[in-house]
Amino acid sequence: MGPLNALDAYLIPVIDGVAYGLLLFTLAAPLTLVFGAGGVLNLAHGSLYALGAYAAALISDGSWTSLALAAAAGTFAGAAGGGLLSAALMPVTGRGHLAQALLTFGVALVAGAALVLAFGPDNLRPTVPAGLDTTVSLAGHRYPAYRLAFIAIAAALAAGGWLVLARSRAGARLRAMVDDPHMLACLGTNPRTVLAAVLTVGGALAGLTGVLGAPIIGPGPGTADTVLLLSLVIVVVGGLGSVGGAVAAAVGVGQVQSLGVVLAPTWTPYLLFAAMALALLVRRQPLPTGGHA
Amino acid sequence: MQQRRTRHHATWATRPAWATRPAWATRPAWVLAACLAMTGCGGSNAGDTGTETVKIGFVGSLSGTYQDVGQEMRDGFQLYLDTHGGRFGGRKVDLVVADEGNGAATALPAATRLVKDEHVAALAGIVASGSYLAISALAAEHKIPLIGSNGRPDTENSDWLWTTSFRSPDPGTAIAPYIKEHVDGPVWAIGPDYKGGYDQVGGFVDTYTKLGGKLANPGGKPTWTPFPATPNYLPYLSQIAKSDAKAVYAFFGGENAIGFVTQYKQSDARNLPLYGAFLTEGPVLQAQGPAAEGIWNVLNYSPDLDNAANRTFIAEWSTRHTDRSPTTYAMAAYDAAAVLDKAIARISGKVTPVKINEAIGQLGQIDSPRGSWQFSPRNHTPIQHWYLRVVRRDGTQLANRVVQDLATIGA
Repeated sequence: MGPLNALDAYLIPVIDGVAYGLLLFTLAAPLTLVFGAGGVLNLAHGSLYALGAYAAALISDGSWTSLALAAAAGTFAGAAGGGLLSAALMPVTGRGHLAQALLTFGVALVAGAALVLAFGPDNLRPTVPAGLDTTVSLAGHRYPAYRLAFIAIAAALAAGGWLVLARSRAGARLRAMVDDPHMLACLGTNPRTVLAAVLTVGGALAGLTGVLGAPIIGPGPGTADTVLLLSLVIVVVGGLGSVGGAVAAAVGVGQVQSLGVVLAPTWTPYLLFAAMALALLVRRQPLPTGGHA
Repeated sequence: MQQRRTRHHATWATRPAWATRPAWATRPAWVLAACLAMTGCGGSNAGDTGTETVKIGFVGSLSGTYQDVGQEMRDGFQLYLDTHGGRFGGRKVDLVVADEGNGAATALPAATRLVKDEHVAALAGIVASGSYLAISALAAEHKIPLIGSNGRPDTENSDWLWTTSFRSPDPGTAIAPYIKEHVDGPVWAIGPDYKGGYDQVGGFVDTYTKLGGKLANPGGKPTWTPFPATPNYLPYLSQIAKSDAKAVYAFFGGENAIGFVTQYKQSDARNLPLYGAFLTEGPVLQAQGPAAEGIWNVLNYSPDLDNAANRTFIAEWSTRHTDRSPTTYAMAAYDAAAVLDKAIARISGKVTPVKINEAIGQLGQIDSPRGSWQFSPRNHTPIQHWYLRVVRRDGTQLANRVVQDLATIGA
């Protein structure tokens, strides 16, 4: 009894909340990046994740080489998908968010059908290297090694993303485009090139996330929808386009979903959306629409 | 619908996933033939059964979330037809296929088209309970028998409704006495938060508590997980491990079943015996991999059942599908075709929906790959055997193996 016992009871849920939260963050990061930097609400985001997840399921056979190969293939497929998407978006440039969202929604429907045609209707899982497909002991509890590794990788991805955005020249161009695309054009950088680059990089990131996330959210006919839904929740809770907000939202939602099972078991089916509603009520900020934010 | 599928096939024929599914390969030709036949003769000719054609509608999920189940059912139905000369009860069958999609919203228009435009004599297939419910009203209104082979909700009036699979609470009801007898202590019950989850887990909980069993869940109520999006089961599993549960009973299917089973083996709960319904049935088993080994599960069918009808079924199935064993979904659809075949064989003269419906009611015991079964007179669902199975490694593949008979159940 006492505080030690209580600590023990909550240790695994808290660690798991962090790991799951970081998974949610890596899911949502490409979506929030593309919206924040490119102004495009990419509803085909889940399909790009699914592409990466299928690459993992088909290529990763339990060896480290195959996992690396899968990561490369998934990243490349995601980047190609993002590039195609930016080409498809060219004709509707300047027609506002709705036209872009509708177009990416249509792409998501087509991509969903095409993926099932190509890979079949079954839910798949990759075989991960034995060193990761095991459990480690954490203060007397069993915990999946893969999730611990995922915490490290996701943290590295988040830190790297922040460095590029805040500290690099490319990041500066990106931020410049968000603030004032016309001035950026005057300075000799084509905003369209930046947008294409953002979609391609966002796609690559989504593909890579698909490879890494496949052992937890594997590829199947419902994958794209699940990933899009979870990402949208994170992006809405964290504030549209804000990477820092997405990190905070993801870790918070991760804790709500994991600690909530211990603290409020009868409410678990509703916790995710209750958290979203609560965040919206507390923030009470209007959504950033056309400069009135 | 068939037109669209046919085009898909032509475009994607070289893809490996298609190459391993021979049923698809044979379908376009079949459908084309069916379409030609349709334009030639609009219905059935009275008298001579040799030239009479009977039109049967099949509605199944050929797209969307339940596509794997829909495909299994289609393959099972088609297998029976192909191995019986394309005839039911001596009459040539004109099979019209429509896509059920994800549920009632797409299923009802598809079925309505089969009834109103194609004038089918009977409807078969149906993956989701919601679709079944929506189509049941259509069937009753037009007095056409509906022979479903998967999800079956409880209905008030079952005059035109038949089901060859089972009622959702049946698996849990069948395994509860076994768990009560073999588990020394309380059991944790868990399932997804939707109608199917309540019915499946409820069937277990009702029978188990009636027998004096205790749930380990807080408050004695089963745990419901968010549906459909619950990729993370670890918090639930560490809860279970902390309780005084001596075993776990779970119902999950598809992606949820993969997530639950793989995470179970990586959690603190991994040493508790895991019992379930549907957890390890179908393609999910290979995705679960070694984590599925040793899971006990209850079902009305297993490919390794030793009876003559099953030996025939397996032999016929494996000549067409070398990459997978048949599931209970395929078996139930195969049986739906068998029911239609046997019922139509009893009809003299012109085949009508009313005569088919009457004949189905007179079938009695039906010899099936699952063992012999019959329709219950009350709600027209099977009174059948349930089996306890366990997942074992069979060479390089994992497979569900029958351990023993559990009970004969039906209402």
